[in-house]
Amino acid sequence: MAEQIIERPALPKKPFNPTSVWLSGWLALIWLIIFDLELSFETLLYGVQDIFEYFSRYSRPNFEDLSRYVELLGQTLATALWGSTLAIVVAVLLAPFAARNLSPNAVTYRIARELLNFMRAMPDLLLALIFVAALGLGPLPGALALGVHTAGFLGKFFAESLERVDNGIYEAVTATGASRVQLVMYAGWPSIQREALGYMLYIFDRNVRMAAVLGLVGAGGIGLALHDTLRMFNYDQSAALIVVILVTILTIDYLSTWIRGKLN
Amino acid sequence: MSNSKLCWPTPNGRPGLVPTLSLLACILLLVISAPAVELDLGRIITAIPRMLAFAGNLLVLPDWEYLPILAKNILQTIEMTFLATSIALVISLPLGILAAKNTSPHPAVFHATRNLLSLMRALPELVWALVFVSAVGLGPLPGIMALSFVTVGFMGKFFAESIEVVDQRQVEGVVAQGASWLQLRTFAHFPQAFPDFVGTVMYVLDHNLRAAAILGLVGAGGIGYDLVMAMRMFDYDRLLPIALSIYIVVTLLDRASDHFRMRMI
Amino acid sequence: MAKIIIKDIGKRYANGFEALKGVSAEIAAGSFTVILGPSGAGKSTLLRTINGLETPTAGTIQIGEQVVTQNNLREVRSQVGMVFQHFNLVDRLSVMTNVLTGRLSHRSWLGSLLYLFRRTDLDLAHDALIRVGLTEKAWNRADKLSGGQQQRVGIARALAQQPRVILADEPVASLDPVASEEIMGLLREICTRDGITVVVNLHQVELAKRFADRIIGLNDGLVVYDGPASGLDRVTLSRIYSRNGDQVDEQLETMLAYA
Repeated sequence: MAEQIIERPALPKKPFNPTSVWLSGWLALIWLIIFDLELSFETLLYGVQDIFEYFSRYSRPNFEDLSRYVELLGQTLATALWGSTLAIVVAVLLAPFAARNLSPNAVTYRIARELLNFMRAMPDLLLALIFVAALGLGPLPGALALGVHTAGFLGKFFAESLERVDNGIYEAVTATGASRVQLVMYAGWPSIQREALGYMLYIFDRNVRMAAVLGLVGAGGIGLALHDTLRMFNYDQSAALIVVILVTILTIDYLSTWIRGKLN
Repeated sequence: MSNSKLCWPTPNGRPGLVPTLSLLACILLLVISAPAVELDLGRIITAIPRMLAFAGNLLVLPDWEYLPILAKNILQTIEMTFLATSIALVISLPLGILAAKNTSPHPAVFHATRNLLSLMRALPELVWALVFVSAVGLGPLPGIMALSFVTVGFMGKFFAESIEVVDQRQVEGVVAQGASWLQLRTFAHFPQAFPDFVGTVMYVLDHNLRAAAILGLVGAGGIGYDLVMAMRMFDYDRLLPIALSIYIVVTLLDRASDHFRMRMI
Repeated sequence: MAKIIIKDIGKRYANGFEALKGVSAEIAAGSFTVILGPSGAGKSTLLRTINGLETPTAGTIQIGEQVVTQNNLREVRSQVGMVFQHFNLVDRLSVMTNVLTGRLSHRSWLGSLLYLFRRTDLDLAHDALIRVGLTEKAWNRADKLSGGQQQRVGIARALAQQPRVILADEPVASLDPVASEEIMGLLREICTRDGITVVVNLHQVELAKRFADRIIGLNDGLVVYDGPASGLDRVTLSRIYSRNGDQVDEQLETMLAYA
C-alpha cells in the first residue's frame, strides 16, 4: 500500500479558525476585570478558610418560631401568586399587540414592544423600592413589582410564540371574515396554549424565588425575617429560615417540572 | 328551546369540566391569598397621586458630579456579570456532562449532579450574597461568588438538557470510529449542543446583569448600593440617571443577545 | 349564487416580481371553474385577490354586486369560503370549534372572547359536518384526523359560512389520489346542489377535465386559455405549461399523457 504513489490533490487552504483568538481575548478580558475589580486571591483564600468555620455556625437550625415562619412563607407564596396573576393578565392583553403578525399596525407594535422591554429592564427589586415608597411597607408593593417586571417577560414570550404560529392558520381564520379580536382568540391563543402554560409555570416558579427576597426592601414575606436574623448574627434562626425557604422552592420546582411533564 | 340560546361548543353546550374546575381553583386560590398580600384597592388608588408626585420629582437635572462615579459603578456591574458568568461557564460544562442522562458515567452520578444543581439554583443570588457578605466582607467579591454559585445551578441544568436532545445517530457514527469516553463527548455531543450552549450563555448573561444590578442592595458590589442610597436619601438627581443607565445597559444586552440568537439559529 | 367579475387584475410584489399582468374573467354564478397552470403561474395570487388576502396593484374584483375594497373586506370574506392546500385548521381546537370559526363574522366580540356561540350557529356547523360526513368526529381534536378528513373539515368550515362563493387553493395537492377524488367530488356536489360558485386552483389536468365546467389556463401571470374543459387539447396544454414562451416544461409530457 505504502509503495503506491498516488497523485494527491492538495487540500484547499485551511480556513482560519477564530476560536483561539476568541479564547485568548476572553482570558485577557477576565484578567483585566480581576485587575480592575482589585480582587485579591489572598482575600479569597482567607475567605475560603473562614467560610467553613462560618458555615458551621449554621449547623444548628432553630425551629422554635416555625409557626411564624410558615405564616411568612404563606405571605411569600401569596405575593408570588398575585404577582404572577397580574403578570399573566397584563401579558395576555399586551402580547397580541406586540406580535408583528397580529398587531393592528406598526405603531401599536412598536409601542407594545417598547412597553414590554421597559417593564423587563426594570429590576423587580428596584420596582419594589419604588412601590414601597408609594404604598408603604407590606406584601402588596412586592406583588405589584413582581407583576410589572414579569409581565414584561411573559408578554415577550407570548408575543414570540404568537409570531411563530403558521401564517396559514391566521389566514384561514381571517378568510372567514373574522375580526382581529376573533383572530387572536381562535387562531392565536389555542395554537400556543401549551407553550403559554409552560411559560406561566416558569414565571410563577421564578416569582416564588424572588418573593423570598423582596422582604429585603420591606416588601413583606420571609425575606425580611432572614435579613433581620442575619443582621443580628442569629445564625440558628437564619439556618432554620434558609431551610424553610429551600424546602419550599425545591417543592415548587419539582411540582412545576412534574406539571410541565404532564403537559407535554 | 330557543334557537338563539348561547352555548359553548361542547357536546352538551355547557363549558368543559376540566377548564371550569381549573378556573374555579385559580379563583379560589386568589381569594384565599388576597388577605395575605393585604390587597386593598383603596390603598392602590390613594397611592396614585404619590406615584405621580414621585415621577414628577424624578424630572430634575442630574447631579453632574456624580456621573463619573455612576459610570464607574455601572462598569463594575458589567464586569461582575461577565466574570461570574465566565467562572460559572467553566464549572458548569463538566457538571452538565455529568448531569445529562446520555453522557453521565453512571445513573447515581446523574442523580447526584442533578440534585446538586437544583440545590445550587434554589435560593436567589441575593440570599447567597447576604451570606457571602457576612463571610468575606463587603465588595464585589461576595457578589461574584453568589452570582457564580447560582449560575452554575442554572447553566449546568440547561447544558445537560441540550446534551440530552442531541441526535443519537450522529453520536453512533463517532462510536463506530472507536472513540474513547472523553473523545465521544468532545467530538459528538459537544459540537451538536453548541448552538444551544451559546443561547444559554446569552440568556444567563442577560439574567446575571439584572441580578448584578441589585446585588449592591446587600453590599455585594455594583450599582445597586448607589440605587438604594439614592432612594433612601431622596437624591432624585441621582436616581433617574441610575435607573436610566440600568435600563440602557440591560436593553442593549437584550438586543444584542436577541440578535446573536437569531444568527445562531 | 354570485358571479365574480375579475377586471384587469395586476399584482406586483414589493420585491418587483410581477405575479399577475392584467387578468380579466367573468365567472358565472353557480359555476365550477378550475384555474389551471404550472406552479408560479400566479394561480394562487389570483385566487387570493378575490377575497382580499392579497391586494391587487391594478384592476378590480367584483363579487355579486359588490366591488371588493379595503373597507368591506370583512363583509366580503364572510360571504366567501376558502379551502387551503394545507387545510390550515387550528390543531388544538375540536373539529366542531374549527367549523364554528366559519360563523365568527356573525358573532359579537364579547361572545367570541368567551367562546360562546348561538344554538343556530351550532346547528349550521352540525349540518356542515353532516354534508362532509364527519359527524362522529365532531368532538375530536383537529390534529388527530387524517389529511383527507382534515380537508373535509376545511370544507365544512367554508360551508358553515353559508357562502355565496367557495375558493379552493390547491385543495388536493397534499392528498393521496383516493382522498383527492373524494374532495373534488364533494366540491362539485356543493356547487351543483347549493348553487355556490366554486373556483378551484389545480395543477392536475386530469382532475380539471373531469370536474370543471370551465377552465382558465394561466401562465406567467396571463390568461392563455379560457373555455370549456373539452377544449383542452395538446396545443392549448402546451401553451399553459410552456416556460418562457417556447420552451416546453418537463412535466408537460406527463400532463399530456393524462390528457
